[in-house]
Amino acid sequence: MDKKKLSFLSIFVFLAINVVSLVQVIEGYYGREYGHVYTFMFVSLLSTALATAAFFIWRKEEYKK
Amino acid sequence: MTDDKKNKNHQSDDQDMMKLVDNLNRKEDVNLNRRAFLKATFGTTVALGLATTPFGVLSVMRDGHNDGERVEIAEADELAVGESKNFVYPKEGDTAILVRTKDDKYVAYNNKCTHLQCPVFYEHKEDILLCPCHKGYFDVNNGHPVAGPPQRELPKILVEVQGGKVYAVGREYRHG
Repeated sequence: MDKKKLSFLSIFVFLAINVVSLVQVIEGYYGREYGHVYTFMFVSLLSTALATAAFFIWRKEEYKK
Repeated sequence: MTDDKKNKNHQSDDQDMMKLVDNLNRKEDVNLNRRAFLKATFGTTVALGLATTPFGVLSVMRDGHNDGERVEIAEADELAVGESKNFVYPKEGDTAILVRTKDDKYVAYNNKCTHLQCPVFYEHKEDILLCPCHKGYFDVNNGHPVAGPPQRELPKILVEVQGGKVYAVGREYRHG
């Protein structure tokens, strides 16, 4: 699979990770399980950073002439 | 000078310019297409990711607060088997219910229903905790919902019986 396709698809994977993480963070916050909150917040931010990297890779490939 | 001549003179320049414009013109990305779809997906991913941070910050602020204060809530012989008593723990406004179950155990929960915050009562005959607002039922032994709209357990107050007195010593939001 080429770089462009891989980065394209990975953004959807990171979206799914962020949806699940946000649910877990909210559950953890209202359940006063703060360890849970920190873990999933870290996962979510890491996923966001990777999604950003994937997006820029995709953009570079997409608009390349 | 005609237009044709003009174009001929600058043909290569125009082609270069077209390449540039073609490369930079992304107005059509506003329309729904593959590129726009991916950009919207990426934006959603970032928004959801960043939405977790306020919860993290609030958690840090609340993390230090300790619910573990030891408070006397009743005399051990004050309640007969199958009776209950209301009290507040850990603060005023955090109403709670202490129950001496049919198994002769003391259990206590914050008694705001996890559905819409109505007070929860002990139903002695059925040995169950009942929220009368929307008929939510909680198991008296563990505080978990067994019927009705509530989806989450009642916060459990840890109790200790010592020297003929019942003490509240802590609180667990998610348990068992």
